[in-house]
Amino acid sequence: MSSAPRSSILTRILRSASFRLTLGYAALFVVSAVVLFGTVYLTATAAMQSDMQAVLRTEAFQLAEIHRRSGLLGLAEQITRRMNFRTRGPIYYLLQGPSRQVMVGNLPGMPPVDGVIDFVRDNDSEEPANARSKLTGFGLTLPDGSFILVAQDASRLVDMQHAIESAFAWAAGVTLFLAIGGGMLLGGNFLRRIDTIGRTSRAIMEGDLSARVPVRGTNDEIDQLVVGLNAMFDRIQHLMEGLRQVSNDIAHDLRTPLGRLRQRLEDAREHATTTAEYAAAADGAIVEADVLLETFSALLRIAQIEAGAQKSGFADLDLSALAQSVGEAYQPAAEDSQHRLVLDIAGGVALHGDRQLLAQMLSNLVENALHHTPAGSTVSLTVGYTATGEPQIVVADNGPGIPAAERERVFGRFYRLDSSRTTAGSGLGLALVKAIATLHGLSIRLEDNAPGLRIVLSR
Amino acid sequence: MAPTPWRPHGRNIECLYSWAPVARRRKACKTRSNVKILIVEDDKQIADYVAKGLREKGHVVDRADNGRDGLYLATGERYDVMIVDRMLPHMDGLSLVKAARAAAVKTPALFLTTMGGVDDRVAGLEAGADDYLVKPFVFAELLARVSALARRPPIVETTQLRVGDLEIDLLSRVVVRDGKRLDLLAQEFKILEYLMRHAGEVVTRTMLLEKVWDFHFDPKTNIVETHISRLRGKIDKGFDRPLLHTIRGAGYVIRAQE
Repeated sequence: MSSAPRSSILTRILRSASFRLTLGYAALFVVSAVVLFGTVYLTATAAMQSDMQAVLRTEAFQLAEIHRRSGLLGLAEQITRRMNFRTRGPIYYLLQGPSRQVMVGNLPGMPPVDGVIDFVRDNDSEEPANARSKLTGFGLTLPDGSFILVAQDASRLVDMQHAIESAFAWAAGVTLFLAIGGGMLLGGNFLRRIDTIGRTSRAIMEGDLSARVPVRGTNDEIDQLVVGLNAMFDRIQHLMEGLRQVSNDIAHDLRTPLGRLRQRLEDAREHATTTAEYAAAADGAIVEADVLLETFSALLRIAQIEAGAQKSGFADLDLSALAQSVGEAYQPAAEDSQHRLVLDIAGGVALHGDRQLLAQMLSNLVENALHHTPAGSTVSLTVGYTATGEPQIVVADNGPGIPAAERERVFGRFYRLDSSRTTAGSGLGLALVKAIATLHGLSIRLEDNAPGLRIVLSR
Repeated sequence: MAPTPWRPHGRNIECLYSWAPVARRRKACKTRSNVKILIVEDDKQIADYVAKGLREKGHVVDRADNGRDGLYLATGERYDVMIVDRMLPHMDGLSLVKAARAAAVKTPALFLTTMGGVDDRVAGLEAGADDYLVKPFVFAELLARVSALARRPPIVETTQLRVGDLEIDLLSRVVVRDGKRLDLLAQEFKILEYLMRHAGEVVTRTMLLEKVWDFHFDPKTNIVETHISRLRGKIDKGFDRPLLHTIRGAGYVIRAQE
């Protein structure tokens, strides 16, 4: 990644997903605007045309009526008057006699055509700007063979069409400009955030496991992605630390018993003379080896569980029945060590999990409580629901408890309170509990039972 | 003395065929001589150790040090039990057992392996194995399991089990010894039932943990010992001859005569 040539920021923006997306939207907008414009253009043109034609038709029929009443001369007089007084936009007239001679009007003579006609007129020299103008006219042949033509300048229509066209051109231009500019802005922004993610992941690959991508707090898609990535980085860091921890632990806590084992064997080799002495040395070595194996397999198990490799064994199970069975299994042992083991188990509490692991977790919790409390103590195993209706497991005792300052550390591997250093146990029991609980999405709280310890597991 | 019966694969004929009356068949099965065992294991030291131990107990042992030879033997010969490592050259243990089962070989199989995860055990049993033992193991544990596999209880399902004057009814869950009714807790009854189904055989602590509680881990507390001692207090206390015996370093056995 880092070795790839860094292309210029512009080409990267042009290639960025958000820029392309913006561009795509702009194109879509332009297409829809074209459709809208086309509709408006055609509708407006048609409406204006028919309006003009209606005016012309009315004018022509009024003139025909005048011809019927006052004859050709009256009509010519009327037209002359209208040509002089017409103020509402220029209307052009043509009156040709029955022999096609122009009698009156400001249009050139033409062969008579009935109905709507569009034509071009060469203008008078007084208006050189638009020497040729488009006209729309309405022709009517009168009963005596004379012909009238009423025409109007079509430039209003053309003007309107031009106005719509230029409005559209402006709108489209500004939109495209905004789309491209905005797209580049968004793309650049997007790229900066992507770059941050890339830089962070490279930093992590290069060994800085604590690097995290900053969250903006806008809770948008990238923020959500970043939160997910950060959670993944947390997990990686956690796993790496676990690995380091395991190697440290192995070095630390397996070396000691291995050394002891070797010492014993060496001692037997040097000093044992009788078979009985050899047998005693062998027995001692076997015990030592068993402890080692146990510690080793507990470590492996924790590592396996923490890696989340056992989720495949998950099923819906009856936590109540499982806790009952575990509790009953420990009942006689508790009595023998003068403990009271109280089971308070609500019926039918269900949990999705691995039966074997949960059984081991409950066993370890009960064992831990029995182990660390003096004779005469009461240990209780409670299974029920939290206030929010989630399954909850509580193991409580009224023994000496754990000082508040030490509570966080008891779940570490090989952790033992100084007071219990001398008693048997690998110091892995609660680390295993923690690993199993975490695998099942359960959080562990250590509370003061006043007196004693209360371990609460719940979602 | 009756003439020595024909003994296919080390079993009395009455043990194998169902025409013999139930009581006689059970007796025949118990008194059969050696068990024929196949060991498929590539670690020579472990194979030697296991073979030696089993031969000392009077069993006949065949060995293969790779999966292909193991499958050849398993399908060609008749064995009472096969002990199979999971990681083998040429063909792994899972495939071996699957192939053998596909070839209709019903010989009980036990996986002996370093792969001790919960998933690994499930995978092993799903492949058609009958038991699973994780290395390193105590020989007594292996012997007890092999013996239990070799003497799989008869298919005929009984509702009553009897050892000496102790009798339990599996349906009514009534336990009677010498005409006296005994009150057992549910878990004590389960332990007793399992021991009586394997009367005369050594049952290890781990086997009880697995079969009675379905615990496939090793608790640090002696929960089996304390339950056994409670059970013993109920079924043996006050009677002349104890039935429940502790075999030091191995486990427990329930049997009528010492």
